[in-house]
Amino acid sequence: MPLTFHYKQLPNGLDIVAEQNPDAHSIALGLFVKTGSRDEDQSVNGVSHFLEHMMFKGSSRYTWQDVNRIFDEIGAKYNAFTSQEMTGYYANVLPEFTERALEHLSHLLRPAIRDEDFNTEKKVILEEIAMYLDDPGHRLYEKLMAAHFGSHPLSMSILGSPQSIQKLQRDQMARYFQQRYGPGNMVLSVTGQFDFDQIVKLAEKYCGSWPHVDAPRQQPMPTHKTQRIDMTDEKLNRQYTMAMMPGPSAQDDRRFAAHVLADVVGDSDGSRLYWALVDNAIAEEADFGFYPHDGCGSFYLALTTDPARTEQAMKIALAELEKAKNDITDDEVERARNKIASGLVLQGEIPLGRMRSIGGQWIYNREYRSLEQDMATLNAVTPQSLKQLMRDFTFDPMTIVSLGPGEKSR
Amino acid sequence: MGDRYFQHTLRNGLTLLGERMPGMVSAAMTLLVPAGSTTDPLNASGSATVLSDLVLRGAGSRDSRALTDHLDSMGLRRSSSVGVQHTRFGSAAVAQRVLDGLEVYGDIIRRPLLPESGFDAARDLAMQALAGIDDDPRQKLMVKLREWHFPFPYGRNSMGTVEDLEHMTLKDVRADHASRYHAQGAILSLAGNIDFNQIRELAERTFGDWDGKAPASFATKPPPGRVLHENQKSEQTHIGIAWPSVPETDPDYYTVRMAVEVLSGGMSGRLFTEVREKRGLCYSVWAGYSSLKGSGSVMGYAGSSNDRAQATLDCFIAELHRMREGVTAEELERAKIGLKASTIMQGESTSARAGAIAHDFFMRGRIRPLDEIKDAIDSVSVDQVNAYLKAHEAGPFTIVTVGPKALNMP
Repeated sequence: MPLTFHYKQLPNGLDIVAEQNPDAHSIALGLFVKTGSRDEDQSVNGVSHFLEHMMFKGSSRYTWQDVNRIFDEIGAKYNAFTSQEMTGYYANVLPEFTERALEHLSHLLRPAIRDEDFNTEKKVILEEIAMYLDDPGHRLYEKLMAAHFGSHPLSMSILGSPQSIQKLQRDQMARYFQQRYGPGNMVLSVTGQFDFDQIVKLAEKYCGSWPHVDAPRQQPMPTHKTQRIDMTDEKLNRQYTMAMMPGPSAQDDRRFAAHVLADVVGDSDGSRLYWALVDNAIAEEADFGFYPHDGCGSFYLALTTDPARTEQAMKIALAELEKAKNDITDDEVERARNKIASGLVLQGEIPLGRMRSIGGQWIYNREYRSLEQDMATLNAVTPQSLKQLMRDFTFDPMTIVSLGPGEKSR
Repeated sequence: MGDRYFQHTLRNGLTLLGERMPGMVSAAMTLLVPAGSTTDPLNASGSATVLSDLVLRGAGSRDSRALTDHLDSMGLRRSSSVGVQHTRFGSAAVAQRVLDGLEVYGDIIRRPLLPESGFDAARDLAMQALAGIDDDPRQKLMVKLREWHFPFPYGRNSMGTVEDLEHMTLKDVRADHASRYHAQGAILSLAGNIDFNQIRELAERTFGDWDGKAPASFATKPPPGRVLHENQKSEQTHIGIAWPSVPETDPDYYTVRMAVEVLSGGMSGRLFTEVREKRGLCYSVWAGYSSLKGSGSVMGYAGSSNDRAQATLDCFIAELHRMREGVTAEELERAKIGLKASTIMQGESTSARAGAIAHDFFMRGRIRPLDEIKDAIDSVSVDQVNAYLKAHEAGPFTIVTVGPKALNMP
């Protein structure tokens, strides 16, 4: 699996990062934009995600019917996503469709945003919000992010609220687009089977005329406080609880140790929380993980339990976090490293997964990391690095949010 | 079979399958044991699920923790699940690790400790998961749709029932292991960076002296078409629709697959176009082919806000009726390219291929080379699809809704 990295910047500032895998059967192409709900203000909350939908509604040349039809004509696996910090548009196709796929993605990223389409799609967004309201895990997560980040922009909901979406105007969206969606704030990520010179030529042909944008991101430091919020919904059977604590950022070298720590403490199988809580069925699920953000980061704890067992489970989980600060062993770290390393090998064989990883890495750090580099960094993580990490990030302050049926049913 | 595929049935009835994938570093294993929800003992629904957890709680000379630690130290990415006809165990990593792990899976399947303490926890976890279904209306809908669409025992919920789980004992589950974890009907497949002689030798050594007959399978009966409404306070009304189709071995199989792709393949599929894009009635709408051995079905889903759900159901059904009028040459061409591309891209994932060849063997008794699948897709003509659609109207429908109000049925 000899993977080769290529980089080129077009005169308009569009970065192209590419990882070539001659053994791949396909090519994956993605355009990633460094924008998301954290770059919105309250008056346009949800616009990044809504705009993601509008990109599929056509350009000056294509209608929405054309957009969907052409993707299907080239047999593409295609989709888009929006997070708090990034939006991405991608297609995975057989190599013979490389040009059509890139041309088509380039149309996606120059949307016409027609009034009629805007109004129809608004209904779809409202349905998506309603769908997530039927998902207790999602409700919990939104509340947790809002409470943990308070006045920091990472508290903004990705989907927005029914009210903010209802009020949003087409011209507000068009303005947001002009300010943020251009070279200087985006990257073209390509992986799999291709000829890089051809990719550069095609990118020049289809994206070379895009105007450069200067879209700085506000980076206030978040302030956190210890807090607990209980949400009641009588119709629920189960109790869903999450806690969030500060952790290293996506730029912080300690992020690699944080990933290993998350595996040692909170992997779904064989981790400390597994043995303390799931093996004995005190909790149905007990997860500890790491979310690196741009400029800051979070650890989180997530429990699904019978309502009557929540407090017991939480107490045990918090005791495990305290204990981990002092007694993580060589064996545990090695097992975690091996599991993560296998994940990297498997990801490296599939262009779609690698394309997202490389594109995301570039958006956050303007850096390419090969699988070998990731492996080497991973292998350098020791129990001592985890100990130091937990001295720097002490799981305090902690925001706890719990959602369940309330006292009545206990 | 050439040098890409390998098939060998051991004397005891276990079938070993292999696919060599040049350029891959990894390998993946799928192991299907003939213990699915269909053959759960009559008053012990959920037994296969409890077993699939319990067998991992210690096996051979290793107790629960030693077993998990050992698998983790090899870096194996693992999964297990219970389906209609099998319990499935999967693992993936760098190839040699997966091969080393095979011996451990021999212990797990054949020599599990099935400990008392583990049983209580495994049963408790199964009951917790079952209680969680009510909190997730979409999951509840799919469980109910299977239950109502498939005549007993094919629609049984693999998660079991509260009554059966409450009464289940360790003795029952041990007896179930003795009666269903058998070589006959078991399928072991490996895909990726493998050597056929080596896997054959490994399989003989690990499973050669395993014996026992697979449980009798039940004949499939045609689904009758029924309607069910489950009252639930929810933001959306979740709609499930299912109807019978041909089995995978039927000469019309690819004709049907093409028709289903036209209905709901990519974003230019009819359901997505009419229900979501034109009318904005929902976020999620789809239909897909689903197979059992000897029978096939099409199952579909849509979720809409409660006041728009009736319009969604009506539009969905109208599209199913419109299929009678046939498909266009362009629609068929897109369907073919889409299905071929995803077949080829499956060749980039060792896990996907290990799963696919095991599925193929179970359904057809042999592995189909990728070229054969491509040819079968290419050979379908518009006339064939349209003649089929004219002669076989979709139905009878099983329609299940989960939401605050029943809908008017077509």
